[in-house]
Amino acid sequence: MDEKTPVLEIKDLSVSYQTPSGFVEAVRGVNLTLYPEEIIGLVGESGSGKSTMAFAVMRLLKGEATVTGGLIKVLGKDVYSLNKKELRLFRWDQMAMVFQSAMSALNPVMTVEKQIFDTILSHRPQMSRQEVRTRAEELMDMVRIDRKHLKSFPHELSGGMRQRIVIAIAIALHPKMVIMDEPTTALDVVVQRSILNQIKEIQKTEKFSILFISHDFSLVAEMATRVAIMYAGRIVEMTDSQTLKLGERHHPYTDGLLRAIPQLTSEDVVIEGISGNPPDLKLLPSGCAFHPRCALAMERCKTEMPIPHPQPIGYIECHLYSEEGSRG
Amino acid sequence: MADSEALVKVENLVVRFPITDNSRRTFIRPVDQVSFEIRAGEVLALVGESGSGKSTIGKALLRILEPSEGSIVVGNKDITHIRRRELVEYRKLAQMIFQDPFGSLNPVKTIEQHLAFPIRKHRLASSDSTSNLINELLARVGLTPVEETRLKFPHELSGGQRQRVAIARALAVNPKFLVADEPISMLDVSIRAGILRLMTQLREDFNLAFLYITHDLASARYFGNRIMVLYGGRIMETSASSELIRKPLHPYTRLLLAATPGSAMKGALPETSNKPPNLLEGRTGCPFADRCPHATDLCRDQVPELTEFEAGHLVACHYTNQLAEDNIRS
Repeated sequence: MDEKTPVLEIKDLSVSYQTPSGFVEAVRGVNLTLYPEEIIGLVGESGSGKSTMAFAVMRLLKGEATVTGGLIKVLGKDVYSLNKKELRLFRWDQMAMVFQSAMSALNPVMTVEKQIFDTILSHRPQMSRQEVRTRAEELMDMVRIDRKHLKSFPHELSGGMRQRIVIAIAIALHPKMVIMDEPTTALDVVVQRSILNQIKEIQKTEKFSILFISHDFSLVAEMATRVAIMYAGRIVEMTDSQTLKLGERHHPYTDGLLRAIPQLTSEDVVIEGISGNPPDLKLLPSGCAFHPRCALAMERCKTEMPIPHPQPIGYIECHLYSEEGSRG
Repeated sequence: MADSEALVKVENLVVRFPITDNSRRTFIRPVDQVSFEIRAGEVLALVGESGSGKSTIGKALLRILEPSEGSIVVGNKDITHIRRRELVEYRKLAQMIFQDPFGSLNPVKTIEQHLAFPIRKHRLASSDSTSNLINELLARVGLTPVEETRLKFPHELSGGQRQRVAIARALAVNPKFLVADEPISMLDVSIRAGILRLMTQLREDFNLAFLYITHDLASARYFGNRIMVLYGGRIMETSASSELIRKPLHPYTRLLLAATPGSAMKGALPETSNKPPNLLEGRTGCPFADRCPHATDLCRDQVPELTEFEAGHLVACHYTNQLAEDNIRS
């Protein structure tokens, strides 16, 4: 897989928010590589920095948030080297995003058709009305919504249908990479499942890569091949969904999350939460940010930030896996 | 527990709301002929999608809403249409925990004030012992050190801690019955288990009965003794939790299970459309018929009654026997 050009390359990315009490680092030196046609799942709790990272990739950070270090390359191009016009054309053409809230991602006073047309025509002004119409109908078929709803307004559609429209708009221009930020979180399980099945189908035919962001482990394990686990602005473990299902050799945080979820079918129904709360980014603990909540924390965890230790698949950023550590 | 008297008895509960459909005034029935019981110390998990009527049932049980038909008896008292004084009195028996711990607490009141209110309102302690009672409650829900927590405002607490305050406030009146409406769905994954465990502990310590409203079958199975599946305002299936997951009989339960992340079922979902259920008064047949792969004309004409298939396992489907055979075959 290494010989292919990555679709997305994030190197040592840091993002800070300016607050009245100073800078707060929401993303702290993150590395991630997404290859063609790959689906990577990014899991984390609220405030872990996963959405901030996604917005940084799309260069959509606004106001108080700025990239303070590192490099983001999409299809070999440094996203932050593009000028305004180049960025406008590059975004959506090569990289697109599906946002969590479909209602606010769509314009309430425009028909679905108009929104799809606008998206396509702003990037492909040379296309004829008929060509655009054909593409719009194709997209509706792809997300399995009756073509008659091209004439509908967003409020006339159900939540699931709206989210399908948002996905259709994201893939309208055949992007190589789509970031999906909690695309089904607000939806019922049955609707969620049918949309996820569709995403997988479309991804196979359209051959794009997905960075799939979610807080739901079991969902990510089903969707993604590789999984990144984020805590307090860092990817603390990189693994694959198979290893995740087996539940062996993980970061103590990952272990904790796996134990915290009631399983639907397993006989073992004892669950256990992780003590404490996700950290306040303004008062980040020293050393490993997870150490105050970690049952296995050692003396050095309090002072020394762990480095990524390579595993058969991926890496784990924890002193337990260093050469001196008990699991090393 | 099996033969103890029911604490909560709901019979033929109907909640109807007026709506205007094509400028004609008519009614919808988000809850339609629902009957069930909850014993003391028992957790009944109520599962269904949004719009299935599960929160409406919760509100009716707490008498935030007044039922249109049917009856609700809690602790041998009919509370279906009680008012004023009696209603205030009833809130000592039954309390509610809401989904949103950010919205259910008052941002300008301290935690202490939140807990003191119900204690004073119901005169549960003398003014000297109120303070002790508050400390006890906070310790109970794991918000230690209590002296620090008491003086905090909601915004100084995390979501999980706020939900603990909401639970402590519900416990202040020493209730026998709690309605918990999606109490963990807005919390971080690492925090959810702690709240579920706390509620399990409280159930054991105080012999509390719960109506646990959720859309998540996995947590329903974990916390619930029994699961009741709701669709279009009607009960589709009820049984002991593990039995329901292992041996689902109703086609809607099967659909829900197939769609839940972590389920063993792969491939296409067992549904024929994704139309939402018709809640209009005067609808005919089974509310799930439009989406059901097994539906026949009978299903579209006649409402299947909720009938006992095996001891404690009730199903509302015309074809339960045939569907049960599928289970054996697969």
